[in-house]
Amino acid sequence: MVDKKNIFLFGYGNFGRQLYKNLFLAGHNIKVLTATAESIVNAQEDKVDLIQINIKRNDDILSLNIDQENDMLYCAMSKTANNLFLVLTLRALFPYANIIAISNSLENTRKLKYAGANSVIDLYEATSRRVINILTKPAVTRAIDEIIYKQNNLKMAEVIIPPTSFLVGMYVKDIAFKSMGVVLVAIIDKESEHELVFTDQRLSQQLEAGETLVVVSKIDDLKIFKDLVHSETHPFVSH
Amino acid sequence: MSLPVKKKVITFFKKKIDENTLKQKKHFFLSFAYFIESFRAYRRIKSFVYNLIENDQYPYKKYFDFFMIIVILTSVTLLVIDVKHHIPVWIDELDLYVVTSILILEYLARMWVYSDVHKIVIDEYEESRFFDKRLSFFHLFWKIFQNKWGYISSFSAIIDLIAILPSYRSIRILRVLILFRAFKMLRYTKSLNGFIYVLKNKKFELMTLLTLVAFFIFIAGIMLYVFEGDNKNPNIHNLFDAFYWALITISTVGYGDIAPVTPEGRVETMVIVIIGIGLIAFGTSLIVASFNERMSVLREEKVIVNVSRKKSLIVICGYGLLGRLVAKGLQKEGLEFIVLDKDENLVSQAFNSGYNTICTDASQGEIFVKLGIEKRISHVLCLTSDDIQNAFIAINVKSLNEKVHVTVRCSDEEIAQKMEFAHIDQVIMPEEIAGMMSAVYAGEPVAFEVLLSIIEEKEKTQIDEITITRGSFLEHKTIGDVNFDSYRLILLGIFTSKDNGKTLGEFLFNPSDDYYLHVGDRLVCIGYSAAIANLKKRM
Repeated sequence: MVDKKNIFLFGYGNFGRQLYKNLFLAGHNIKVLTATAESIVNAQEDKVDLIQINIKRNDDILSLNIDQENDMLYCAMSKTANNLFLVLTLRALFPYANIIAISNSLENTRKLKYAGANSVIDLYEATSRRVINILTKPAVTRAIDEIIYKQNNLKMAEVIIPPTSFLVGMYVKDIAFKSMGVVLVAIIDKESEHELVFTDQRLSQQLEAGETLVVVSKIDDLKIFKDLVHSETHPFVSH
Repeated sequence: MSLPVKKKVITFFKKKIDENTLKQKKHFFLSFAYFIESFRAYRRIKSFVYNLIENDQYPYKKYFDFFMIIVILTSVTLLVIDVKHHIPVWIDELDLYVVTSILILEYLARMWVYSDVHKIVIDEYEESRFFDKRLSFFHLFWKIFQNKWGYISSFSAIIDLIAILPSYRSIRILRVLILFRAFKMLRYTKSLNGFIYVLKNKKFELMTLLTLVAFFIFIAGIMLYVFEGDNKNPNIHNLFDAFYWALITISTVGYGDIAPVTPEGRVETMVIVIIGIGLIAFGTSLIVASFNERMSVLREEKVIVNVSRKKSLIVICGYGLLGRLVAKGLQKEGLEFIVLDKDENLVSQAFNSGYNTICTDASQGEIFVKLGIEKRISHVLCLTSDDIQNAFIAINVKSLNEKVHVTVRCSDEEIAQKMEFAHIDQVIMPEEIAGMMSAVYAGEPVAFEVLLSIIEEKEKTQIDEITITRGSFLEHKTIGDVNFDSYRLILLGIFTSKDNGKTLGEFLFNPSDDYYLHVGDRLVCIGYSAAIANLKKRM
């Protein structure tokens, strides 16, 4: 279902362990790298293969053969200082790599971003958000669980519109997403990559090639939808 | 029948009759006592009066206190005006009758709620039945008197009584006792308790200080009298003058009406002034320290009074990294909550952020009982960084009231399993959440960023839920009828209603157009915050 990716996971403490578990379940290829004794014990308990490295030595990291165009680098060292240094090192060595770091406070998130992490997952921010949402928006929380976290047939996905697609030039309101079992959440412009435009504000705009559609759908419907997006002719008529 | 025998018979009967009437009387008292015991309205009134005059946690007590302060201030004001001006007789009489009646009523009410007389009667009766001995009236009244004497002889009751006395206008000097009414005002503020607490708490130190002061005054007074008493100093006529001078000097007040004139006297003065400064510093520091200790208790009481007005309360246990973020979020959502932590530093941080905070051990039941676990607390969040501590708190709460929703933060999976076994409603594992998020990110980074920015409310577009209420315009309509596009909302899915909408049922993703909406169904929508608010308003 998901494109298998090569993932380098640095650190196998409490965070690293959970990360490994979830990434493994999602079916990715994972290489675990660590420097501390505690992590080695953890890894032995879980029977995970582990490569010991010294993050201060560039040679150790370079010898891992990281493909910076495609591989993902997860920094989940238990000590914030180590994690920060690791992010800095990786960014210096691989300017185009996709680096994701785990942080435990807003303060550290800022530092990790400055050090060069593409994305930072703030452990406590996410947890507190969840605790609050359980109290205030229980249905929303469960819906999100169903869609993205649980291993069921619901899925959130991104679909890029190819230049040859029949969708190019069509209006959002004229496409019967609903009848295809697809809910369109947002459209992301290729030029301003980080600017999200949500469907509710885009009903009367035309779709362009290269834009990314963020959709939620059942896995089977998603496959059909992806094929559809790639087809050049009008396979259905909107109502 | 011979005469002596007849007499005997008569006395026997007479005795019998006396005992019977006595029994009847007793019977009347007893049945009255039992009647009161079973009379619910009486108990309700009594507990209301008790709350009004004695219970600091009771929200309406402050109105009573305020009323009493006004009454007393009126009385004191009249006393002051009376010194130089003439007060009309009717005002004076009003003061006399109204204020005095209020004070007497209050005194009696306090005595009334101090203890339950009928309980004493019942207890005594049951005890006498148990030991099979006669219950004498005298003994009974003695017991009741002993019990009420406990109130009459208490410090505050004596002040109350003295405050009533000035009503006897014939004795002029008693008028000054009105000032006891002013003193009585302390009762209506919480300061009196605080002050008595300080005195009690530092009894030993204060007594030491007092002895020391008395000793120095004694020595210094006698010395000055010896040096200057023999007509060298025209202001010192007797030993009393010398002691008066010693106190005024040692307290560093120094009026200067009596001053030493001889070199010996002056040297002595220099010494006791220095001693005086030391003693005052010592005394002040004692009292300040004791008040500081008291402050935390007072603050706690204030917090409990604050939250006792709330209908629903969330308790956050632990104000670490996570607790702090949750508190901030709850405040933003406008929910009522209280923070508990053992660490004083963290507590003062929470306090400085303006939250209701108590420094306490949340693994003990007492604090939850004080906060009203039976009626007020809806959720307890155990967010300390220690799994075992969290488990301890959670089980503490559940054992007090099973209905309270408990969320536990946990890092260890084995402990998490045990929590489920203990019927804890929700176990949150920060590492797991981060792990899940990371895994999703690896698969669909862009989609995930979108969702994250919606969840974290970084954009104006939000995800929210709308419950179908009875009689709302959406009830019995189909999805197709509603036309979510016209509301500029994206319908992600619907949770069907279960247990009359109390819990979430099945999640229907992207429901078809012919789905009928029922009461209790929850719509999960994505849309511009104003659009969501619009639909909620229409509901």
